[in-house]
Amino acid sequence: MAATNKNDKHDLLVNKKHNPTVAALLSIIPGLGQAYNKRFLKGAALFILFAAFVVAFTELISAGLQGLVTLGEVPREDDSRIFLSNGILSLIFTAFFLSFYILNIQDAFKDAKRIQLGWKVPNIREGFRNAWDNSFPYLLIGPGLFLLIFVVIFPLLFMVFLAFTNYNLYNAPPRNLLEWVGFENFVTLFTINEWRTTFFNVLSWTLIWTFVATTLQIGLALFLAVLVNDPRVRFKKLIRTVLILPWAVPGFVTIIIFSALFNDNFGAINLQIIEPLFGQRVPWLTDATATRVAIIMIQVWLGFPFVYALFTGVLQGISADWYEAADMDGANRWQKFRNITFPHVMFATAPLLIMQYAGNFNNFNIIYLFNQGGPAVRGQTAGGTDILISWIYGLTFTNQQFNMAAAISIILGILVAGFAFFQFRRSRSFKEEGTF
Amino acid sequence: MQKSKSLKYSLALAALSVTLVACGGNDEANTGTDANEPANEPANEEPANTDAANNEEPANGDGNTAAEGDAPEKPESLAMWVNDEDAQLDAYEEITARFEEEHGIEVNITPYSMLEQTEGMSLDGPSGQGPDLFFQPHDRMGDIHLQGLAAELELTEDQQARLAEYNEEAVTAFSFEGIQYGIPAVVETYALFRNTELVPDAPETMDDLMATARELTDGSTYGFLMEATNFYFSYPFLTAPGGYVFGQDADGVYDSEDIGLNSEGAVQGAEVIGSWFEEGLMPMGIDGDVMNGLFTDGQAGMVVTGPWAIPDYEAALGENLAVSTLPTQDGETLSSFSGNKGWLVNFYTDHEYWATELALFLTNPESSATYFEMAGELPAHTAVEIDDEFMSPIFDQTQYAEPMPNIPEMSQVWEPIADALNFIAQGEDPQEVLDEAVQQIRDQIVIMQ
Repeated sequence: MAATNKNDKHDLLVNKKHNPTVAALLSIIPGLGQAYNKRFLKGAALFILFAAFVVAFTELISAGLQGLVTLGEVPREDDSRIFLSNGILSLIFTAFFLSFYILNIQDAFKDAKRIQLGWKVPNIREGFRNAWDNSFPYLLIGPGLFLLIFVVIFPLLFMVFLAFTNYNLYNAPPRNLLEWVGFENFVTLFTINEWRTTFFNVLSWTLIWTFVATTLQIGLALFLAVLVNDPRVRFKKLIRTVLILPWAVPGFVTIIIFSALFNDNFGAINLQIIEPLFGQRVPWLTDATATRVAIIMIQVWLGFPFVYALFTGVLQGISADWYEAADMDGANRWQKFRNITFPHVMFATAPLLIMQYAGNFNNFNIIYLFNQGGPAVRGQTAGGTDILISWIYGLTFTNQQFNMAAAISIILGILVAGFAFFQFRRSRSFKEEGTF
Repeated sequence: MQKSKSLKYSLALAALSVTLVACGGNDEANTGTDANEPANEPANEEPANTDAANNEEPANGDGNTAAEGDAPEKPESLAMWVNDEDAQLDAYEEITARFEEEHGIEVNITPYSMLEQTEGMSLDGPSGQGPDLFFQPHDRMGDIHLQGLAAELELTEDQQARLAEYNEEAVTAFSFEGIQYGIPAVVETYALFRNTELVPDAPETMDDLMATARELTDGSTYGFLMEATNFYFSYPFLTAPGGYVFGQDADGVYDSEDIGLNSEGAVQGAEVIGSWFEEGLMPMGIDGDVMNGLFTDGQAGMVVTGPWAIPDYEAALGENLAVSTLPTQDGETLSSFSGNKGWLVNFYTDHEYWATELALFLTNPESSATYFEMAGELPAHTAVEIDDEFMSPIFDQTQYAEPMPNIPEMSQVWEPIADALNFIAQGEDPQEVLDEAVQQIRDQIVIMQ
């Protein structure tokens, strides 16, 4: 109401005596500010709720926070992990409390300001209706939000906190108490020689693996999708079904079967295919390069059906008019592919394709199930096909170095978050483009 | 407006209280977990006296009466975690029923996978929700000691006397740095399996075995197969000429600084293993699946494996399957790796004495006989007679077996040595690769501490 003319604002003050600052200050005790605004029912409700919260949780929260700092004092009786999780819960509760507290002060301030400008406090019935209208969306989001906080945020925080403790096999609860060690774990990661040198070997293979395997699977899928989509191809349904079949078999089953097929001396691939044709066997499981080739081929086999299905869907959505127009202009087949088909397909699927790369970056299953990251490479602890995630699995979980595992997980998490960020950017560009 | 806020608040409060209750002793710390060994770890050792009669009664009877005299007050019930396999659960149902009858203490059994029990104990123990007894392989003793999950047993004289009748190696396998933590229940090791159609008589010595192997091996049939690049199985061949894993003092305490896997003896043994591959007696890339496949197809004369393979082998070969102890080398039977599994008392239990009693009851000769019959695992108590054509030779082999070292550093040994054996199979110099492997083990041990 006052907003109609800002310059006249002061002249329009109806209740000059009603002071928003006072309302806000009074709200330091929740409810008083609301009472000052003559919203007694609301004020009373707020006061009771805050009082109840304080009575019920103060002790718990302060104990939790204190425990978070000390992580326990009596070995054997205090379990640092419980202290840690209680501390994190306290942090979450405190965050809740603080945000509602601030909202309460803001609410008193805003209402007071409106009253100053001549706004009438609604009666109970109106207030109730307003509340229902305004808060309905929150009511619906609420449960999801709480689930998110306790199912996703809480464990995540726990992991992050562990990265700054000395929780490993030699310092494990309940016998020992944990201690905060700051960034020591991260420093160790990059100063211990064995870890650092192997890290770069593994990182380079991880990047090659991610890039080659994913690009090949997308390339094959695109090739097949375009081929099958050609109007001259018959039995489309049958061909599509066959091409999607690898997807229907659970991945781990396929991988284990392939690992048997690729066996150097007994696998069908050497015995039935390579040896009769070329007169020698390929050391699929004992030579690092051969294993890498094999594992990339398997990933292409496993990964292309999804991308193929995706591409097929998009291809069918491309209007025939585009191609007709291209024909009129005398475009050849390659030009039509390059300028119509390819951009369409890529634009529609880019975010999902990027997630394919992210998926392969952390594709633990195939590496571990095929050959446990092997074969062994002399002079390093990681095997020839170990990617970061499988190397870390071996290095930390066989040693029960939870602190290091947490530290490395944070680093990996940041790397994958990079992919995800990129994906969201792509999604947006896609949306804003709009026309395709 | 007023309702909107209060609605949110009450929602918040409700959610908080619910989560508070739910999050009680909750925590993610254990996501990591164990698995410090290759899949084959279970194994057991133990000298077994097949001789002794089943007359456990005297010792036991005396023990009980003596125990009842100055024993602490009986609890109403005891709880135990039993590995979640039907046969084992059934067996312990029956055995604990007898304990209830004898002592009037109820025993509650919870099925719980053995491999996940330490993880569970680490959280349930301190919070008071743990069982009185839990079941673990002996090579987890180091981890359990470091986490402080098991009670240091204070055995009465009577209990000690009863424990003396158990396989000695199995009992020490459950001690760590001189502290007795557990009562061994079962032992397991591997032995020589053969197809009598190809190899009618068990070879006496390693030379006999190799001669038979050379005779039979012709490219599609193999005389002798084993997972030679798996340290668990190749242990006998590295130790026979003098190799060892960790040095031990007189009390059996391991020294993780003293690694004997690149010693002269170990290298000599590794050379022998390398020669099998060089001569073509054993195919490169041999693993358990390949070995089992060839053996069940009748294309392998002899293999080295454990009792877990018996059902499949028997189904495939029937009458032609035979088992014997490993052959001798330089006049002594090869010593296999063994694994023991036994009962540990929860550190946080209020009934340590009675939990120990229950553990001793579960593993006494009568219970062990029931357990062997129903679950098929070899007992650690020496006074049990095993009458089974396949299991008896394995039980005999346990006499020559040595427990896998139970210190946590052992988890760093498996992979580097397996890798080294792989390189040796590919023809690299044994001394060189074993030196590298041992260096790697040392580095890893430094990192883990």
